[in-house]
Amino acid sequence: MQLLSSLIDGILIGFVYGVAAVGLTLIWGVMSVINLSHGPVMALGMFSTYLLFANLGVNPYLALIGVAVFGLVLGLVIYTVAVHRVISAPHLSSLLATFAVNMIIIGIGTAVFSTSPHNIDFSLGSISLGPIILPATRLLAAVAAILFTALLYIFLYFTRPGKAIRAVANNRTAAELMGIPSAQVLALSFGIGTALACVAGGLIATFFPFTILSGGPYELKSFVICVLGGLGNPLGALLGGLLLGGLEGLIPTVMPVSWVPVLEFGLFILVLLVKPSGLLGAKS
Amino acid sequence: MAVLEVADLASGYGEVQILWGVNLTLEKGKLTTLVGSNGVGKTTLLRTVMGLLRAIQGTVTFAGQDVTHLAPHARANLGLVLVPEGRQLFTEMTVYENLEMGAFSKRAQAHVQDNLEKVFTLFPRLKERRSQKAGTLSGGEQQMVAVGRGLMAEPELLILDELSLGLSPLLALNLFESLLTLKKSGLTMLLVEQNVQMALAVSDYGYVLAEGKVQLQGEARSLLNNEEVQRTYLGI
Ligand SMILES: Nc1ncnc2c1ncn2[C@@H]1O[C@H](COP(=O)(O)OP(=O)(O)OP(=O)(O)O)[C@@H](O)[C@H]1O
Ligand SMILES: [Mg+2]
Repeated sequence: MQLLSSLIDGILIGFVYGVAAVGLTLIWGVMSVINLSHGPVMALGMFSTYLLFANLGVNPYLALIGVAVFGLVLGLVIYTVAVHRVISAPHLSSLLATFAVNMIIIGIGTAVFSTSPHNIDFSLGSISLGPIILPATRLLAAVAAILFTALLYIFLYFTRPGKAIRAVANNRTAAELMGIPSAQVLALSFGIGTALACVAGGLIATFFPFTILSGGPYELKSFVICVLGGLGNPLGALLGGLLLGGLEGLIPTVMPVSWVPVLEFGLFILVLLVKPSGLLGAKS
Repeated sequence: MAVLEVADLASGYGEVQILWGVNLTLEKGKLTTLVGSNGVGKTTLLRTVMGLLRAIQGTVTFAGQDVTHLAPHARANLGLVLVPEGRQLFTEMTVYENLEMGAFSKRAQAHVQDNLEKVFTLFPRLKERRSQKAGTLSGGEQQMVAVGRGLMAEPELLILDELSLGLSPLLALNLFESLLTLKKSGLTMLLVEQNVQMALAVSDYGYVLAEGKVQLQGEARSLLNNEEVQRTYLGI
């Protein structure tokens, strides 16, 4: 029973990992940028949820809407200032540009919030499903994660700007030739990817304490997940998140918790070696 | 009236200059063919006309407006539309979505239904395949999507680069017949073709590109009868 309960708990957190990874993989899929500012952006999502909750008393789940909008604007700014000019340069340029953004956010964040842990003091009690007891925040986070991913899918497949994003991801030159302003579409994609990172951060903040540095480990997890799911494949990223979350739930029940990263990154390398296109039926 | 006017245009790739002062005028409602050997710079010229390549010198005037410094999507918004070499479809999207994306520009939005009907009448095959991923179509079907997508953009000028490349003679013939239908509806077109004979046979006017410049131009019929054209491009 302990096993099942750990597994379910892990999978619920996995939904949130999934949202963060979907953001990362969207940016990679559309513009082939490895976004190293993803972690700090998640931390900003944690802090903006915290500020809305602690200062204005906004319910953290309601706050997510504001956090998403904040993330969208933040992403547009990061793209315009740091990424756009190096978008056609070799990958190393955009990698370093987003790394610089990463350092800037961490620097400012440390100055403003210090590095002492913050905590959203919000509990909804727990829900028991038979013998399995789960914190309600985990369940709600999973629901919110599903909701945001579903919204993204509807956007990408049923709206004009969403389809334009897929067109630009598929063939940027052809998109330009058809009258699609690709620079604007890239900025929008970066904004959406950043918004998803912020939302994931906000959800994580409802169950763990955090600092401005807390995004780092989740960024790394996002990379593992993206590779599991196939880089550039949003649905694969969500499923990869569930897989990683499930593993994180299970591993500590059979061995010391310090083995979690060893197995995670072992899996990462294994997938890269054996099936670099991703475990979950990624596009080529 | 000239729909497109290219004056003294030069361009190339980095240090390598390919075009050295090209002059070209396309009249409204006319079908024009651009002929030249492989690697002479036909695609380079079209890429420069569309703004995918920067002009080193010279101007591109479209419908009376200087577009030399406009981004490709802005040119498409004016009705300057290229069906590019190698099709360049949105392979991960369905046939229908490809056509939809063709109509992305504001000028095309108002005519989506009309143009969709036009495209499906021209290529009934696409209607059957509308929900299939474009990347999984046969070569000929993909070429139909490329042309259809271009038509969805409500072109003022439709430029077609290597329309018949890799198609069976029969399919190529069908596509050329489609071009004649389009010409009857008043569309201005510029054709770049390996199949010089067929292209000139359906065209009103022709240009011959060599050594980075237009070396010869004239009525398509007279080019077909020109000895040098026959020797160099028609193998007669
Ligand atoms: N991206 C590029 N970078 C460098 N050189 C290029 C590039 N694209 C084309 N070229 C060169 O420019 C020249 C003209 O190429 P272009 O594609 O315009 O020829 P083309 O007339 O369209 O030929 P084809 O009939 O084979 O399509 C060629 O010598 C080609 O090698
Ligand atoms: Mg060519």
